[in-house]
Amino acid sequence: METRVRTDIQQYIVTTWLSGDGRGFDDNTDLQQNGILDSFSTLALIGFLEETFKVKLAPSDINAETLRNVNTLTQMVLGKLAPSNRDNTG
Amino acid sequence: MRLDQLVSPWAKSSPHQVAVDGNEVFTYAELDQLANCFANLILASGLQLGDRVGIHLPRSGRAIAAMLGTVRAGGIYVPLDPGSPPARMQLIVRDCGLRHVVIAPHLLNSWIAASVCEPVEHYFLSEGTNSPELPQPCRVHLWFEVVESSPNLPGSPGESPDDLAYILYTSGSTGVPKGVMISHRNALVFVNWAAEQISLGQTDRVASVAPFHFDLSVFDIWASLSRGATIVIVDEVTVISGSRMLDRIHEKSINVWYSVPSALVLMLENGALAERGAASLRVVFFAGEVFPIKYLRRTMTAISNARFLNLFGPTETNVCLAYEVKSPPPVDATAVPIGTASCDDVISILDAEGHAVADGEVGELFVDGPTVMLGYWDAGRRTLAKHPYATGDLVSRRDDGQLMYHGRRDHMVKVHGYRVELGEVETTLNGHPGIQEALAFAIDQQLVAVAVPAGPSLSVLDVKRYCATRLPKYMIPSDIRLVERLPRTSSGKADRVRARTALVESDVSTLKPIRPAQL
Repeated sequence: METRVRTDIQQYIVTTWLSGDGRGFDDNTDLQQNGILDSFSTLALIGFLEETFKVKLAPSDINAETLRNVNTLTQMVLGKLAPSNRDNTG
Repeated sequence: MRLDQLVSPWAKSSPHQVAVDGNEVFTYAELDQLANCFANLILASGLQLGDRVGIHLPRSGRAIAAMLGTVRAGGIYVPLDPGSPPARMQLIVRDCGLRHVVIAPHLLNSWIAASVCEPVEHYFLSEGTNSPELPQPCRVHLWFEVVESSPNLPGSPGESPDDLAYILYTSGSTGVPKGVMISHRNALVFVNWAAEQISLGQTDRVASVAPFHFDLSVFDIWASLSRGATIVIVDEVTVISGSRMLDRIHEKSINVWYSVPSALVLMLENGALAERGAASLRVVFFAGEVFPIKYLRRTMTAISNARFLNLFGPTETNVCLAYEVKSPPPVDATAVPIGTASCDDVISILDAEGHAVADGEVGELFVDGPTVMLGYWDAGRRTLAKHPYATGDLVSRRDDGQLMYHGRRDHMVKVHGYRVELGEVETTLNGHPGIQEALAFAIDQQLVAVAVPAGPSLSVLDVKRYCATRLPKYMIPSDIRLVERLPRTSSGKADRVRARTALVESDVSTLKPIRPAQL
């Protein structure tokens, strides 16, 4: 499951905000410092996460730390998913 | 003084001096005679004072002779873009009411095929001996057959320097071309100013790079002819290649150059200008678009003997500001100034309420003075220019009095409620060392940029990271496309309109995406 979440988030960001050009982008790329996330792309990203992974994100989930990179986003989504989902696939 | 009076004195004093060096070479005496011949021919074809004459020829001595002959006959010349599609040509021919057109045989054939004829009555073929079949009542004249028979002009019918000399069609913001009306006085004020700035004289060899329907060519043609200098044609095939342009400079010892910065960048990127240099050049004028600092620095280093002057002004005012770049600007400079008023023009910078702005604040550039056009030609009606003329350009005045350019007023856009000046986004993108050139647009509330990388290593992430350190977040293009090249206008500038249309319509042939192998 973690791999799927990670890959989906990565693909979404590369497709939506990097015109499909994934060169130089990895799970630790800082989304703020690299000009990828602003207030509008953040809204779109939250919409994508909620719809794709069927999770409900509270305002407290959304902060500079959870939005830092693909790793932190993946961990946030996994934390929201039911434990059974997390354990079944990998 | 009028444009039609410039050549005869040189034809008398220096008849063998070369006036135009192109595929054909014309001395001043030959140019003078050819112009008179053409003037007689159009007068005999019923040209009335103030009639417009279309010039539809490749850049050549014959085209220049036709312009000179037109003004000698009391006409107004209208240079037509040989690269323009027939539909646009038809708009101009009708708008201008062209009854007389000088045309190259191959262009006439394409006009006939596209039915671009009405209201033309007389075609003057620049070469060839066979007359194509044309619908009545059109007549075709073989201009060069009569050269020998009519060397003298029966006196100039036009008298006033305030008569119209030429009309330049420029793209209107609505997409319909607008005819900018320029008088003899308008043109000569600029021509004399520019010639004096560089002490232009008979030993000079001035490049003709800009298309004749583009106002940069006014300097090339008329400043050269006014001072007995030689015009060296850098033809339409040569200007698409940086290396061929540089070959031409070397072969012909061109020493005065005036072009858009893109042409110089092309010589750097694709002509090895840095290695080969251009030692013959003593003056480089540039205008028409912002010269990215990194390229200006490289160009000035490569052509270290030349003076560099940044000329500024819309077609409507010709050149109204000028700045001499004395040494390569520092690497962290964002732009060179556009300078101070030239040609006795009076400059003001006004806010939206019409009040002068303080130094350092951005306002719209207003120009009054002798270079401001008479007005727009609009289907035979003359719409006089308002004075002072509002350029739509945003500028500020530095403490030292030099003006800085901040883009077009009409490229000010709003994205998610934020005011964004696209020129500022573009300046930032163009400052990236890995970007050759870039344009920015607001499309559906999104900032979209297209960029031509200077090399294969540039990634979209590189560009975003670069912007993130220089622009507020709302000004970072959310969508950045790396493309092989930008579409260009016939004058060589990046074509904003076609690039935007290609983005909206996902037209990948106009904006061919670069697909990195690793994707």
